[in-house]
Amino acid sequence: MSDIEDMLSVPDANVDTERALARLRARVEAERIAPVSRGASGPRRVAVNIWLKGLAAAATVALVATVLTVSGLAETILTIFEPKQIVAVPITVNDLTGASSFATYGTLTWTEQPRPYDVPDLGTAARDSGMTVLIPGNLPAGVGAPKYGVMAKTTATFTFSAEKTRQAAAAQKRTPPPMPANIDGSRLFITGGPAVVTFYDDGSAGATGATSATGATGASPFSGMPRLIVAQGRPPVVQSDGVTVDQLQSYLLQQPGISPQLAAQIRAIKDPSSTLPVPIPVDMATSKKVTVQGVDGIFVGDSTGLGSAVIWQKDGIVYGVAGTLTEQQVLAVANSLH
Amino acid sequence: MEVAERLRLRTAPGPGMPPAFEDLFRREYPRVVAIAHRIVGDADEAEDVAQDVFVSFYRKHPADAHYAAPWLHAAAAHTALNVLRSRARRRTRDAVEALRRDTAVPDPAQAAEAAETRSEVRAALTRLPDRSAALLALRYSGLSYEEIAAALGLRQSSIGTLLRRAEDAFRKEVTT
Repeated sequence: MSDIEDMLSVPDANVDTERALARLRARVEAERIAPVSRGASGPRRVAVNIWLKGLAAAATVALVATVLTVSGLAETILTIFEPKQIVAVPITVNDLTGASSFATYGTLTWTEQPRPYDVPDLGTAARDSGMTVLIPGNLPAGVGAPKYGVMAKTTATFTFSAEKTRQAAAAQKRTPPPMPANIDGSRLFITGGPAVVTFYDDGSAGATGATSATGATGASPFSGMPRLIVAQGRPPVVQSDGVTVDQLQSYLLQQPGISPQLAAQIRAIKDPSSTLPVPIPVDMATSKKVTVQGVDGIFVGDSTGLGSAVIWQKDGIVYGVAGTLTEQQVLAVANSLH
Repeated sequence: MEVAERLRLRTAPGPGMPPAFEDLFRREYPRVVAIAHRIVGDADEAEDVAQDVFVSFYRKHPADAHYAAPWLHAAAAHTALNVLRSRARRRTRDAVEALRRDTAVPDPAQAAEAAETRSEVRAALTRLPDRSAALLALRYSGLSYEEIAAALGLRQSSIGTLLRRAEDAFRKEVTT
């Protein structure tokens, strides 16, 4: 044995490949990690995937934690989350990859699945959604014709399971705090939508499908998106059949993967039962407060300046405008909605 | 692609793990762990590194990519080196704990000394240029010159020279 080999020697590791594969499968399932599709490789696509998955994961964590910061006990079914305002919650890539998905803590059962479908025109979108669909009075140059999609109202029940949590943690070789007995088996009833989404692709000749931001770093969360998206929908409402909220809060915010910073930000939300947290990936985007349509909104810009979004809530509806556009363009579209 | 399909793509759960990926995992996992283990010096931590490496590959690359194995080997080395660097500040305590977990040394004094040596060796690795540290880890995990060249994007004919330089630099770092 050479001196270098001697210095770098390590005891034989007992590697169990099948157990490791099971652990990876559990992680892929828990974090809803999708494999790359052929031809879609590259940093831009990866950035979008991370952001979108992260958005879902962080929204889940933030939402659940927010829901659970409501003080008091619910003896009967009680509305514990009904957002009337929105707040930006900065998150990092570590928050995205470290936190477990909702699926880790129990079982989500859809009573009405989210099934988006195309509709031919604005009138159908309004009729199907039961909402007045706002349209932009001002579109940036080069934006193509609108296409409409509707997502009907969805409802789901989430049932906490101590056993499922334990199994998921074991598969990932993590040791979370034990789930309190009265959380185990308790249920949350979640309602979301309906929503209407309008896509505007690039109107220039030859453009098909999504227009990509082409930042030098390739880290735009907006890459791969259409030129402009206008969305509106009823925000999620969560009801509970009676969980011990203090225990739930301390339980969920102490989970492995939830950073102290993220937990502190969620705890700092003043009125958690009526505040919708919007996760902002701070590694890829910046955010600031803006006034839109006369109310407070959040502007999100990516680090390349090539993508922008603005989100606000007014009269019980959450609105969003996003695209591969500048801040001024996005705000102009948002303020022109009527 | 119409609106509904695009929305579905953004809301649908991910598909199951492709069989080609599972085959790749079974084939390469032990070696990825071995590379990481050689660097971090702790078996559990090496398996954590391997998990992260495979998740990263899964997200970004098709399982049947011709570069899959070299990519995994290089990623194992670089990810493990990053872990080692972030751990450097608290290295002595960790090394002692790692040694206690990994080995059954009957003599506490001998165990402490071994832990200290191991800690110094790992600290020396972090002071080497990335490529040199990766070269050493890959070579002493049993990779051939051809495999090392593929992983690090080097000419096979230059591996011998680069390896000797890395070894010299490593010896120097350990003794300083």
